[in-house]
Amino acid sequence: MADETTAPAAAPQDSRRETMAFVIGVAGWLVPGLGHALLKMWGRAAMFFLTVSMLVILGAGMRGNVFSSSGNDAFDALGYLADLGTGTFYLVARSLETNGADVSHAGGDYGTRFLATAGVLNLLAVLHAYEAARGRKA
Amino acid sequence: MNAGIGFKLSHLQAMLLFALLISIAFGFLSRRRPIDRVKYIVWSLFLFLLIGVGIGWAMYPFSR
Repeated sequence: MADETTAPAAAPQDSRRETMAFVIGVAGWLVPGLGHALLKMWGRAAMFFLTVSMLVILGAGMRGNVFSSSGNDAFDALGYLADLGTGTFYLVARSLETNGADVSHAGGDYGTRFLATAGVLNLLAVLHAYEAARGRKA
Repeated sequence: MNAGIGFKLSHLQAMLLFALLISIAFGFLSRRRPIDRVKYIVWSLFLFLLIGVGIGWAMYPFSR
């Protein structure tokens, strides 16, 4: 009688699929939409690239706060994590904002939200691409 | 030399752009058929604006 407490060894195909899903997730994080593009979901790829890039450009243009790793409190750390969600676009935001953040007016404050939303939205897209790559219905 | 870009948007313009971009992203994320996506985007945008303007008016008595 087979031992039911022992899980069967994972099939090589499952392992390969998991690895591919992970690679697709990382690619989608680095460049918004790339994960979906690798899955040949062209419409979603284009839209995620456009929406995330627009949010980053608008947020930086409105002189929102691009958080750095040298934050003073938990909110700065959370903001940094959210901003990092945009992947390479985090560097784009920093390079666009040569004049620095200005949250003394409402526009700058909105810009901070735009940047954080771009990051969280991209992380959501990454999760979607990851699940789709694993074979879940998307 | 400072070459940074700069946008000066009003509150309404910022809200409209934000709502539109998020609605489009959510529509593409959660629906597959194009017609379903359009319906979702329009409905989501409408709710964003309705709730945004509603909260704005709800805060109006306390604004001064």
